[in-house]
Order: sequence, then structure tokens, then C-alpha cells
Amino acid sequence: MFLHELKYELIVNLRAKDLILWLMLFPIVLGILFKVAFGSIYENSLFSSIPAAVVMSGENDVFRNVVDSVSGEDSPLLDVRYAEEEEALELLENDEVSGIIYAGDEVTLTVAGKGMQETILKAFIEQYTVYETIIEDTIKNDPSKLQAVISALSDDVSACTETPVTRGNTDQFIQYFYNLIAMVAIFGSITGLHITENNQANMSPLGARKNCSPTPKSVSLSVALIGSFAAQAVCLIICVTFLAFVLKVDFGDRLPLVYLASVIGGCMGVAMGFFVGSISVLPHEAKLAINMSVSMVLCFLSGLMIGNIKGMIAETVPWFNDINPVAIISDCFYCLNLYSDLGRFSVKVISMVIYIFVFYALGVILSRRKKYASI
Amino acid sequence: MQVFNAFMKVMKKKIFIAFIYIFVFVFVAIAMTFTDNNVSQFEQVSLKVCVFDEDDSPESHALCSFIGNDNELVTLENDRDVIMDALYYERADYVLTINNGYAEKLASGDTDGVFVSMKMHDSYSTVYMGQMLNEYVSTVSAFLAGGNDVMDAVSRAEEVLSKEAEVNIASFVSRSDPDVNTNTVFFFRFLPYIILGAVMSTLCPVLLVLGRKDIRYRTNCSGIHQSTYTIQIFAASAVYIIGIWLVFMIVGLIINGGTYSGIAWLAVLNSFVFSLFAAMLTIFVVEFEPPATMVNIITQVVSLGMCFLCGVFVEQPLLGDGVLAVARFLPTYWYIRVNRMIEGSETFDMNTVVLALSIEFGCAAVMALLAALVRKSKYTGKSAVPV
Repeated sequence: MFLHELKYELIVNLRAKDLILWLMLFPIVLGILFKVAFGSIYENSLFSSIPAAVVMSGENDVFRNVVDSVSGEDSPLLDVRYAEEEEALELLENDEVSGIIYAGDEVTLTVAGKGMQETILKAFIEQYTVYETIIEDTIKNDPSKLQAVISALSDDVSACTETPVTRGNTDQFIQYFYNLIAMVAIFGSITGLHITENNQANMSPLGARKNCSPTPKSVSLSVALIGSFAAQAVCLIICVTFLAFVLKVDFGDRLPLVYLASVIGGCMGVAMGFFVGSISVLPHEAKLAINMSVSMVLCFLSGLMIGNIKGMIAETVPWFNDINPVAIISDCFYCLNLYSDLGRFSVKVISMVIYIFVFYALGVILSRRKKYASI
Repeated sequence: MQVFNAFMKVMKKKIFIAFIYIFVFVFVAIAMTFTDNNVSQFEQVSLKVCVFDEDDSPESHALCSFIGNDNELVTLENDRDVIMDALYYERADYVLTINNGYAEKLASGDTDGVFVSMKMHDSYSTVYMGQMLNEYVSTVSAFLAGGNDVMDAVSRAEEVLSKEAEVNIASFVSRSDPDVNTNTVFFFRFLPYIILGAVMSTLCPVLLVLGRKDIRYRTNCSGIHQSTYTIQIFAASAVYIIGIWLVFMIVGLIINGGTYSGIAWLAVLNSFVFSLFAAMLTIFVVEFEPPATMVNIITQVVSLGMCFLCGVFVEQPLLGDGVLAVARFLPTYWYIRVNRMIEGSETFDMNTVVLALSIEFGCAAVMALLAALVRKSKYTGKSAVPV
């Protein structure tokens, strides 16, 4: 009986072409748009030599030597172009340089905005001015120490040892893709919503027919859930495959686990829809509205629209990220990508499995033992 | 006015559902306004720095205080996972550990590797902080070489390093500080997503009912002319949308802390024109009779796609030229251009504002025309005949 029911459930799911098609198309379309929009942002945020124009408005050979030394290294701090003032302003206006350094008796900076590049340029000329001041003061106060001071200032210092915190993909914009998959997974609730409706006599003619059949409700509900899990799993597998292999989104080197987390996330979405659908006092449209609204808010709080919101929530209400189903799904991908061990990933997967059982249990409790005097 | 009245009747029945969506979108709008208070990551010159002081000496305290002068010091648990989360989600830009023995090494002049920093990748903030720390250490060493004792050298270094260089803004830059409340600016920045979502989610169910076969056939065999029907649908939708738009303007008033003033009215006008576009887009989408369950997915694709592409969630200057070249064809891009002028991120230019509003309005008109065209082709061809 179980297999017979399952066969027909799968056929019903396959015939709901619109829903399946949209659930497949939706991440593909948005994935392409995300890829187009974020394609080069991460590369641009990585450090590269800062383009600057230098206008020598007087004789300042010392400064020229300093500039040449910082722009002639293997990975130079500055990418300098010496220019006349007019040309330099034109370069600045065309965004070809981040600032103009005027080197005369005094060294000043002209910029067109304020950002990290401009801040580094400012720090560079401040460093030069500080060293110049120290040397001048030493000449004035104690010339015998001049050699020692110059030596201290010109020593190559590397006070800071930099340690990368992870070997994974540190592109912060990839989290939009994590959240996109999480959104597709949670939108599985639309399919879950129909399970109860197709199994309750007061909600659909199909439900009425099923209720007067000899199949136990537990069997028909379980079969419907398994059928929806399967349909949702297919959608998510296609979604992850498209993102990973067509759009070349770098999910790290544990792709099978990415598939696993997506599929379990999709099952959680279906179970959530099943639970909401079981609240029989509400009409279908209200249930759909509640389902979609809750999903959207959860997606928003997981960082689908504003990437760093999850960090803000972690600061203020840290427990919320641990109970937000969408954040749990996207955290799985984050952990797989950045963490070397699977401890936190396992906790997230277990959380999803618990959610599935809780939603399933609540859905069953709400939809069992229904009797109808009239439908 | 039969069609108009029928629209209102259906709307009344759907008002509860509409309220659910509107309530949620109001919540999201408020949350967006108060969560994203950074204009852009590249305009932030004060970094969020976390310092773990393992040396705990007067010298290391002085360094912490020096770092805190121009940056915001944040506190984190000294745990690799917590640090990684903080760096990834930008709760910290730089995490520095002052190693044990810093003070002694500073005094002896052996300053290599006195700090350890944890980084996600080679960002500008990493380079900036590395440069600043090297400069600090070199300056202290220079004062030590000049005959000062360690604490004197530290305080003199802090004194000279606190002198600011002269920085001028180029004469061609005429950006002014906005005279609009920052929260209001953010509210209007995220409004395209909210309006598209709210309008499509609430208007679609009403229009789908009116487009149902039984109602459509009844209307088609009535005496109402097709163009009259279309005009009444447009009018009723406009009334409905104005209602929704007013709800968001009232929310905006609360966020603004009082009546809009000055240039904020331009943001109000901009949002109104955009709402018209959202309404016409919805009518156009409904002409293809999507199943009710699919409306939300379509809404998310359209609203999220358009907003990401046009710079609602990610600042326009961060998007590539190619992306912006495509985005120019979408009204959301022009909405954001106007908003950027209002917030002072772009030079205010009345001609661009007029052009932007005209394009938004033009897009609304195109959507209306397309919807009417699809409707006409649907109901005057063979498909108009019930089988």
C-alpha cells in the first residue's frame, strides 16, 4: 500500500509542473543575477597598489626617493604617476588615481572622497611628515644622535605577523548564494503546505476522497511528505549543481556535504509548510501568506538582503541565529567552506533534523482525528 | 464603474491577507533602515579593531589607547571561531594580539613579530593597520635612539603620530552633506524592494480573482468595452497602490521623526512614481495568469533580482560598469540614482533627477501598454472563446 501511494504521490508532484519549474528556475535566475552583480566586487576589495598622482611643486628629492622606494617594491604600496597639477586633477576626476600628493615645502594630499585608499594615502604622507619632524628635532636638539635616529627610522620593521584565520573561500559575497539556496530550501514549504490540504476533507475534494479511503492517515501523510521531500531534493540538487558547476560558485572542497545540507534544508522547508498547512482554522490564502511572510523575514534575518545582518544579530541576540531555520541552512555552507572541522556543521545538521521531526510531529498532532459533520 | 466596484469588493475580501504582507514588509523596512547604518564599507575610515593584550604592560596599554584614538575598539572572545565569524561578518575589521614580552622587545629595539594579526584576506584594512603598527614601532624606536626612556618615547611617539596631514577635497567635488535624516535616507533606499514586494504580493491576488475564467467570461459578454474595463482596472489598482504607498509614507514619517521637509519631499515623489511602476508591473505579470502559489516566487525573483542588480542592497559604485550598463534600463537604477543625490553620495543635478523620474514614469507607462496589449491579444483572439 505504501509503495502504491508513493508512486501516485510522485506522479502528482511531477504533474505540479508550475511549482517544480519555478522552484528550479527561481535560484537559476537569481543565481545568474547575483553572479553578474557580485562578480568583481570581491576581487576589487582585495588590496592592490593604490594609484596616486604626485605633483612636485618644489624641489623635494628626499620625498621623491621615499615615493620611488614604496612604489618600486615587489608588491608596492603605491602605484605612482608623476604629473603636472592639471593632468593630476584630470586623473583624479576620472577616478584613475585615488589622490594627488603635492610635494613641495610641505606635503599635502588632495582627494575626491573618503575611503580606505584615501586613508592609506593620508597615513603615508603623515608617516613621511612624522619622520621628517623627528629628524629635524634631532638635528636641532641633539645632532650626535642623528645617525642612530635615522637608522631606527630606516630599519625595515615587520612588527606584525599575519595569520589567515581560514584556508576556505573568504569572499563575503558568497553568503548571498548560501542564502539563496537556503531560500529555495525554505520555499519548499509551499509544497509542504499542500500536503495537509490534499489530505484533509474540509480543505479539498482530493482530501475528502482520501479521507473516505481505507488508507490510514499516517500512511497517506507520510507518503505525501516523502514525495514532497523527493521533489524538493531534486530542485535543490539542480540548484546547487547549477551554482557550483555553471556559475562556478566556490563552495569549498566538500561539495557532497553541501548537497547533503541543501537536501536536509529542503526537507525542513517542506516540514515547515506541512506544519503551517495543518492549522486548519485558517483559509489557504492566509496560510500561504503567513508561510511566505515568515519565510521572507527569516531569509532577511539570515542576510539574504543585507549580508552582515547575521553578524549584527550575533552581537545582540546570538541565540536567534541558532534557531532561525534559514540561518541554520546558510550556516551549514559557511561552516563547510571556512571551518576545517565538521563539529559546527554537524550541530547545524542535527538542528535541521530536529526541526523536521518537530514540524512533522506538530503537523500530525494538528491534523489527526478530524471528524466532519459537514464539509 | 462596475469593474472598479468589483475590484474593491474583491479587495475587501483579500484585505486580511494584504495586511499580513504589509505588516511583514513594514517590519522588514524598519529593520533594514536601522540595521544598515553604513553608507558603504569603503567610506568607513575608522576601523573596528579588536586587541588582545597578552603583554598587559603600560607600553601595551598605551598602544591600545593609540589604536583607539582613530578606530573603534571592539571586544571579542579569544576564540578562533568567534574571531573568524567576526571578521567574516565585519563585526571586526582587524584582530590584533600584542604578544607577551612586547614591552621588553620594544625597549631592546627587537620589534619584529611583536604582534600577531588574524586576517581573512589581504584587505585594505589589513594593509593600513600593518602600516600603522610598523610606523608606531619605528617612531618609538627612533625616540629611544634619541635618548628617551621607553615611556617618554611612547608618549612622544603618540604626540607626533597624532598630527594630521593636510587633506583637501578636489575643487570639482561639490557633494554636500544631506539635510535629510540618515534613517529616512536608508528607509527610502530600501523602499524599492519593499514596494515591489508589498505591491506584487497584495495586488496579484485581487487581479487574479478578477481574471478567473468565470468572472472574465461574464465580463467579456457584458456591455463594457474592453478599453473601459482596462481603464477601470488601472484606476482601481492605482487607488489600491496609493493606499499601500501611504502606509509606507506614514512609516517613513515616524522614522523621520516628523513631517518631511526640503529635499525629503523629492524622496517621497520618487517613491510615488516607483510605486506606479510597481503597480503596472504587477498588472503586466498578472496578464500571464500565474498560479496563485507562484506569485510569491515571481515576486521574489523580480524584486530581489532588480534590487541587487540596481544597487539597492549593494552600493552602485561597488557594482561593475557592465552591471550598471544593464541596470540603466531598469527604473530601480534611476530610483537609486535620485536617492544617492538626496543622501549626498552624488552631486545633486536637477536635470538627472527629472530624467530619472521621467524614466521611472516611462517604464510604468510601458508596462501599462504591454499589459493592455497582452490583454487585447488574449481576449480578441481564439482564446477568448470558452471551450
